[in-house]
Amino acid sequence: MNDFEAMNYFKDAALVADPYPYLDALRGKCPVLREPHHDVVMVTGYDEASEVLHDSEHFSSCTSVTGPFPGFPVPLEGDDISELIALHRHELPMSDQLPTFDPPTHTDHRALLMRLITPKRLKENEASMWGLADRMLDSFLAGGEGEFISGYAGPFSLLVIADLLGVPEEDQQEFSEGLQHRPHDRAGVGGTQEELAHSPLGYLYDRFSAYVEDRRREPREDVITGLATAAFPDGSIPEVGDAARVAVNLFAAGQETTVRLLGAALKVLAEQPEIQAQLRGDRTLIPNFIEEALRVESPIKGDFRLSRVPVSVGGVDLPAGTTVMVLNSAANRDPRQFADPATFDPTRANARRHMAFGRGIHTCPGAPLARAEAVVSIQRLLDRTSDIRISERAHGPEGARRYQYVPTYILRGLTELNLEFTPVEGSA
Amino acid sequence: MKVAVDDDRCRGHGVCWSTCPEVFDLSDEDYAVVRTPEVPAEYEEAVRTAADRCPEHAITVS
Repeated sequence: MNDFEAMNYFKDAALVADPYPYLDALRGKCPVLREPHHDVVMVTGYDEASEVLHDSEHFSSCTSVTGPFPGFPVPLEGDDISELIALHRHELPMSDQLPTFDPPTHTDHRALLMRLITPKRLKENEASMWGLADRMLDSFLAGGEGEFISGYAGPFSLLVIADLLGVPEEDQQEFSEGLQHRPHDRAGVGGTQEELAHSPLGYLYDRFSAYVEDRRREPREDVITGLATAAFPDGSIPEVGDAARVAVNLFAAGQETTVRLLGAALKVLAEQPEIQAQLRGDRTLIPNFIEEALRVESPIKGDFRLSRVPVSVGGVDLPAGTTVMVLNSAANRDPRQFADPATFDPTRANARRHMAFGRGIHTCPGAPLARAEAVVSIQRLLDRTSDIRISERAHGPEGARRYQYVPTYILRGLTELNLEFTPVEGSA
Repeated sequence: MKVAVDDDRCRGHGVCWSTCPEVFDLSDEDYAVVRTPEVPAEYEEAVRTAADRCPEHAITVS
């Protein structure tokens, strides 16, 4: 389709509203296909995406968040650009963030992060999620209607991460304010309109640097002390900034994405009453429903890799220095892997094979956290309402709905979801 | 060939289960469990792939 070739995935507003027909058209032509506007090789097939994500030897993640914008600081010439990457990677935006690291640095820093989100800590965190969800729902459900993203999903996921990291209760209010007041409707990472700031999370970084310094001076029995005193696998102690960055990463990566997952899940429940009824009748379907939401509306549409050497993906030869975009959201709709991929089926047997959390060494470390947040939220929302509907006033009548999505080529998610509900008597 | 999952490292990504459901399963809490610690010969390759692809390096084969 010539239409699709003329479209610019990185700039076109129509593709923010609905990227899937475009991505399907690319995959239909070839699952590994160079787009003409920014010279990016778009990987839209399931097996091909898996191949790239598992190959951290031939692909670098140094441009994983930024891809062709602003592009590499120097021309990428020659058959092995590893040395150029080593020389210039620190000049790239987000170069101090875990998603852009390669081994062996990545291995060490990820190990530091994983010490923070241990199965034991996640279990404690999940236990407190039930109380947090109910507290948020007390006010959110009271009016019978509300905007779900800012009224529940945003503040809930923020408090969950604050709890996971052990932010002292007396500081949590300040955190909420400090983060809610950032200009959150500006696109941030992967914006289709604006330029990237070098490190947009200064507030958190300063806050956690202060915590780490404080706890190193005066250790307490809390999670932040664990973060402050954690050592790299070789026993060396990270600098204050490195330790703080682990916490900042968690906020940055965990908030935006989980909020979008919750929005997508609630939209399905409200738009498709038969699915809502199905889940109300059998709560054991909730986990697979969430996997299907992750598959159909992957909160991260994709990210980038840069080939170090000539490499072949799905039988397509790519020279060294090729910017590749791995589109998880397209892989998750590959008909060779998922039958009838555009249909939302909460009982789909292989839904959990989706790559919404990525694959390989950069697989989302917060996946179990996101899953637990979604299960708890949906469980309590269903318990405390007898019906959840889309607000026609805000989104228009059935058949002519209006939804807005965050204007980025990386993230997929609603900016607003206005709901109406019938609260269950005495549930509060 | 034997296979084991380290519970402290597993974060329930389910890649092993996706790769070789004959040998790996997911627990009620969605973490990986081994169905057959003694790997049948026909699944040895798939189990090696699963171990190789585990994002947390939680799988050991011996």
